[in-house]
Amino acid sequence: MSLPISAIVMLIIGVVVLYGGLAYFIYRAIRSKKE
Amino acid sequence: MAAIGSAVGLGNVWRFPYVCYKNGGGAFLIPYLIALFTAGIPLMILEFSLGHWSRSPPPLAFKKVNKKLEWVGWLSSLTPFVVASYYVVVMAWCFAYMVYSINLLWEPDAESFFFRFLGKTSGISEIGGISIPVLLGLIAIWLSIFIILYKGVDRIGKVVAITVPLPTALLIILTVRGLTLPGAIEGVSYYLTPDFSKLLNVNVWLSAYAQVFFSLSLAQGILITYASYLRRDSDISNNAFITSLADAGTSFLAGFTVFSVVGYLAYVKNVDINHLGIAGPHLTFITYPTAISLLPFASAIFGMMFYIALLTFGIDSAFSMIEPMASSLNRKWRISKFKATAIICLVGFMASLFFTTGSGIYWLDIVDHFIANFGLVTVGLLECVTLGYLYKVSFFREHANKTSDIRIGRWWDLLIRYVVPAILVMLLILSIVENLKKPYMGYPVYALIIAGALPIVFIVIASFVLQRVKR
Repeated sequence: MSLPISAIVMLIIGVVVLYGGLAYFIYRAIRSKKE
Repeated sequence: MAAIGSAVGLGNVWRFPYVCYKNGGGAFLIPYLIALFTAGIPLMILEFSLGHWSRSPPPLAFKKVNKKLEWVGWLSSLTPFVVASYYVVVMAWCFAYMVYSINLLWEPDAESFFFRFLGKTSGISEIGGISIPVLLGLIAIWLSIFIILYKGVDRIGKVVAITVPLPTALLIILTVRGLTLPGAIEGVSYYLTPDFSKLLNVNVWLSAYAQVFFSLSLAQGILITYASYLRRDSDISNNAFITSLADAGTSFLAGFTVFSVVGYLAYVKNVDINHLGIAGPHLTFITYPTAISLLPFASAIFGMMFYIALLTFGIDSAFSMIEPMASSLNRKWRISKFKATAIICLVGFMASLFFTTGSGIYWLDIVDHFIANFGLVTVGLLECVTLGYLYKVSFFREHANKTSDIRIGRWWDLLIRYVVPAILVMLLILSIVENLKKPYMGYPVYALIIAGALPIVFIVIASFVLQRVKR
């Protein structure tokens, strides 16, 4: 059995918003510390 | 890092995946993310800003806002202290199971966990004896909390440098192992396949706001206390975004850890996932160890990893619940940090003892239900009302903007003054209606009054008394 397309879409949304967002804010924190 | 440690706790593993599955699977992510950005993060910015501006624990922070509001600070410091008294007991269960996992000594069925391990009695009125393995775990956890806290903020920093990344790494390993097991994809499919029709149900939206609110350690004085230790130039808004997203990201990951293994168990036992316990103690002490025992190899290692992850996730949350009270006693009456922490840990330990008895799990269930649904929601509401209406909330926005890379606009004032309080009032009304309709879980009314109403009444009275006691 494989994951339904709708589940894959939700997986992508979760990963992009949560981990992408986290990576983005960590990047901003590191950048502003360097400055 | 300490705020992330505080926010990420046992609930991320044993509550979020279940709440998500029950409320529309992947579709639940939509209200959850909206709740995170419209209530969780704004309230966290408010608490960070108050702590950072006042450089004080909650009672003194609220006193700086208005002399008459010190009790609100005590309320938000006492509430997590009561939560800690039973949270530590659950950690003691994890501690015992971690020890058992060395030789797979557990017998993972409901009978063994509830009746042999906890010594659960037949009803709430029968107190029963103290469970020795739980008592030993309890002593170990309270001692750890004391050792971590009494030296102050430097030691907290050193501890969270280990206890935040370690369980996350273990969770990733467990997830990878889980996803390579047969039946795992079916499990994940249960977790993520969206049922968009559920989004029309208002209770699903309230569940999302409740999950965000409880998971982020909001309204517990913890974030105010930790923010008071931040450097003057610390970025408040960015810290709030990082803490919230790290917490939500861990919950999302935990869903894969849980559902992959539950899917495997359903596959091996040839049963439907719905027939397996997938939340709370059932998941942690019955379903998960059963699945671990059935692993083809290295069961003990994976079992130990799971309980170490839970313990390390939990310990940051546990000591963060004690820190506001310890710090408040230390700052208001100039009691040394050693003495203040010792007093709080000793009182907490004595209170926890009650939950190690045979009827402890019943009492724990009631206290948790009332504190979470009434205590925390009321404190959150009081925070929004006192800081949003009796004080200029824009002051805290401007304070946050002074040190933050990301500037927050006037929309934030609207969220704090209208949106968050409205959601909290709705949660409160919903809880009141549900509890009036029928007694919670069919418990006798006297038990609900003793374990549900009395702790809240005690917290409120104690808050006013502590405000009145002079330095």
